[in-house]
Amino acid sequence: MTVHEYPARRRRGWWLRNPRYLAFQLREAGGVVCALYGLILLNMLIQLRDGESAYAAFLNLLRTPPVLYLNVVLFALVLWHALTWFMLIGKAQPIQFTRQPLPWKVVFGINVLLWIGVSGAVVYLIFGGM
Amino acid sequence: MHADVAAPDEVLLEPVFWSLFSVGGFITAFLLPVMLFLIFFAAPFHLWPGDPAAYATFLAHWKEPLVRLFFFVLIGGSLFHGTHRLKFMLMDAGFKGPAAEALLDLILNGVAIFGSLGALYYALRGWLF
Repeated sequence: MTVHEYPARRRRGWWLRNPRYLAFQLREAGGVVCALYGLILLNMLIQLRDGESAYAAFLNLLRTPPVLYLNVVLFALVLWHALTWFMLIGKAQPIQFTRQPLPWKVVFGINVLLWIGVSGAVVYLIFGGM
Repeated sequence: MHADVAAPDEVLLEPVFWSLFSVGGFITAFLLPVMLFLIFFAAPFHLWPGDPAAYATFLAHWKEPLVRLFFFVLIGGSLFHGTHRLKFMLMDAGFKGPAAEALLDLILNGVAIFGSLGALYYALRGWLF
């Protein structure tokens, strides 16, 4: 049996033609930024092993203005990625505790509340509170 | 991917990496923003009483197994999630074909696997050995 593929063709810059497509691409980019931060956090552990001066140099580099403001932009992408993740949970896999699946906005609200709770728990359990 | 023409190893591996991507999505969504805020922005923007990332403070927390587990899970989840997304962004951008896909799998899955193993090593180092 011969299998034919019919690849979807898109014009260049398709994601700039509609705000929804742009939001989607920014979300995808946010996902990639998560991996970048994974590597940065891994590097943080390596610098921690190398001692106080290595760790302080790493932290100072992160806090120089160009890197800091670049981090603000990347952080915004990570936040957008998190928020859209909470939006899609109720759409991709409708949660059915009731006769009808819960509306995605309800699931989104529950996830945001959970997110706030989990973030508070991280502050206290991982970073020892304020 | 066509399930009817896919090689057996693809059928085995793709669900594994997709599951790690999906779990990584939950981990990064729930845990990464607060982590980045505390490490990168809390002290420089004077949004926190102290500096949660300062060497002495962080080193004291790092002695706790829960903190080490947290970092391992967060780093591994971020890497498996982000590399999977990057693969499909690059494929969308035209990096297609079996050879290109195999190369992307090799590099990106390699980064995710070795990065996670690295995080596991540092999480266990000084605690179990």
